[in-house]
Amino acid sequence: MPSGGSPIVTTTTKLGRRAVLAGSAAGAALLAAPAIVRAQAPVIRIGMLLPRSGFFAQAGQSCHRGALAAPRVLSDLGYRVELVHIDTESNADIARTQAERAINDGVHCLVGAFDSGHTLAIAQVAEQRQVPLVINIAAAPPITEQGYKFLVRNFQTGPQLVTNGLRLIGETITATKISPKTAVFLHANDTFGQAQRGAMDALFPRANLPFTLAESIAYDPRAQDLSVEVTRLRALRPDLVLVVTRASDAVKLVRDMVRQRFEPMGIVSPGSPGMYDEEFYQALGPLADFHISNLPWVNPRSAMTTALETAFLAANPGTRFAADAFNAGFTFEAILIAADAFKRAGTTNGPQLMAAIKATDIAEHVMIGGPIKFDEKGQNPNIGSAAVQNIKRTPTVVLPADSSAAAPVLPMPGWQGRT
Amino acid sequence: MKALARIWNATNPRARAALALFFGALLVAPLFADRYLLSVLILIFYFAFVGQAWNVMMGFAGQLSLGHALYVGVGAYVSAALWVKFGIGPWAGVLAAIAACVALGLVIGALGFRFGIEGVYFAMLTIAIAEFVRIAFDHMEWTGKAGGFFLPVRADAAGEWWNLRGGPLLFYYVGLALMAGAFVLCAMLRRSRIGHQWLAIREDEQAARALGIDVFRAKLIAVAISSAMTGIGGVFYAFYYNNLFPAQVFDISRSIELILGPIVGGLGTLFGPILGAFILTPLGEALIGATERLGVNVPGAKAVFYGVALMAIIYAAPSGVWPWLKKKLGLA
Repeated sequence: MPSGGSPIVTTTTKLGRRAVLAGSAAGAALLAAPAIVRAQAPVIRIGMLLPRSGFFAQAGQSCHRGALAAPRVLSDLGYRVELVHIDTESNADIARTQAERAINDGVHCLVGAFDSGHTLAIAQVAEQRQVPLVINIAAAPPITEQGYKFLVRNFQTGPQLVTNGLRLIGETITATKISPKTAVFLHANDTFGQAQRGAMDALFPRANLPFTLAESIAYDPRAQDLSVEVTRLRALRPDLVLVVTRASDAVKLVRDMVRQRFEPMGIVSPGSPGMYDEEFYQALGPLADFHISNLPWVNPRSAMTTALETAFLAANPGTRFAADAFNAGFTFEAILIAADAFKRAGTTNGPQLMAAIKATDIAEHVMIGGPIKFDEKGQNPNIGSAAVQNIKRTPTVVLPADSSAAAPVLPMPGWQGRT
Repeated sequence: MKALARIWNATNPRARAALALFFGALLVAPLFADRYLLSVLILIFYFAFVGQAWNVMMGFAGQLSLGHALYVGVGAYVSAALWVKFGIGPWAGVLAAIAACVALGLVIGALGFRFGIEGVYFAMLTIAIAEFVRIAFDHMEWTGKAGGFFLPVRADAAGEWWNLRGGPLLFYYVGLALMAGAFVLCAMLRRSRIGHQWLAIREDEQAARALGIDVFRAKLIAVAISSAMTGIGGVFYAFYYNNLFPAQVFDISRSIELILGPIVGGLGTLFGPILGAFILTPLGEALIGATERLGVNVPGAKAVFYGVALMAIIYAAPSGVWPWLKKKLGLA
């Protein structure tokens, strides 16, 4: 007799058809229970996969700061989100295993992952497990061309960045009334830089800009200095220097230009990071001013941007929103897209949530551009670009006029005498 | 088969039982493992396999290569390009990948060994050529340059195992087969004539030469086998990840990653690379979970703990974990 006291009774029961059916139904209900619980979750759990350490740490942490600010803004807007922060360590293997773990741990949607390679590693997990992936930043065009059904990208592709970047160069020339005759394109020879070079080669001849592109110069972003490249620049004497950089090499570039007293009319990026990063301002001080980056940017006239900035400063004391605006803005919007879809779908069931994400139509948002919508491949075609000029060490929107906070300044003042 | 049977019969009965248990458990593991665990195990198999490949060159023949990611990258790009551009599947593509990697390996080996480039200088040569190839791929239009090379993903192709198109279970068993196959191959090589020549060269190259061993030829064979195996690892990588970026696959950090397993597990041993992979990959994953649970939300904290754990392992078992464990378990 068991300790419980009741006798063990062994009976042989003949199972009827109804009993089998009832048992099967009960079993199925039991097996489906976690899915039902997941589908009826009161909040959407979002796995934030960002490279907060390793090679992309600076950008990953910048995105992370935006994510930290998001819940407060979204809560005020009536959305319910819970974020799970995961560091991909700038490693595709880790990005993949951590995506699996996050889904195991019950996240309903993934957001990430800054680098295209990491994003695609996560995309496969998302696809196989039918969990939506909302890409905050990743520019490789094939991401939405490979056939994935469970991802959307709220970010421009490399060619879109360059197309808009070149158009804004033309608008800046018109607005400042300068007349450059030549330019040189200087770019890092990393994945992003090479992709931008390809886009530049294809798009510059069709951009109808009033200057010629004298040469394209590739450089190693890990080089100790860029004195050789700047010497070549001096020899070519271009009016404009078009650059594709990241922060550390942008610093080296400007330092070598100052050292060699090379003063072009302007240094303009047709779509790259580097010149609006905090590291750039800290390292160069006044020498960081007047450079222009043409890229998607937060709309300073949007009420949601103001709310995000307030929440950002509360969540990240001692950090400037302006320097993180690009990464933080896109990361916030990725979370907004997931939260909005959850609110409309009323479920966290993967395919239904994905359908809701695909049907996104958010008019009021943070980044400059039209409503957030996705085409059949999952790409948002409505993202706009802005000319962002460094003014008093603050990235400031100078174009388009309907979003600008100041007028563009070109030619830029000489290096000497800046304060 | 006869050679294999001889090796099996000559193995310590305890070791045979442990091996059978180990591989048997891995065969049925997918019945119990969740998706996350499967993805970690796939990574372990991959690192065990490429670690075993590197071990042939360094552990057996004593030739230090710090640019082995070169073969992963070349194998990956060759097979992926054949698949995308010509529709040639990976099982055929792997032969081309092997041919390309062996050719590259032989060029590097011939260059190094013919001109007496040894030790750290040979290691530097391997790094230099890996970097050279990375930069070449950064500019190669045909494979997407630095912007990446992408394999198409079709939902209706998910069951095409013959094209390595499938879910984690397919890659689990392919990875397991690769790891087990490499183990068997290395066991046979170790006991072969060439295996003994490698060990002689590793211990004392001058003495080996004095004994009449064709050192140049033996070293080249080691390079060829090692590069071929690593190239196969590249094919696996390409079809598992479906995208390739030169900066990722050829990077020196990838070379370091793939040699850590054999070093921690036990250089020159058969089971060392496998044990090393089974220690390091789960250690990394466990530390991510542990730092999260401890509330250590500082980016890079895991890397610090990982480094400390690595130092502790190397301090406790300077010859590698496997020789120490083998003695403890009475498997020697």
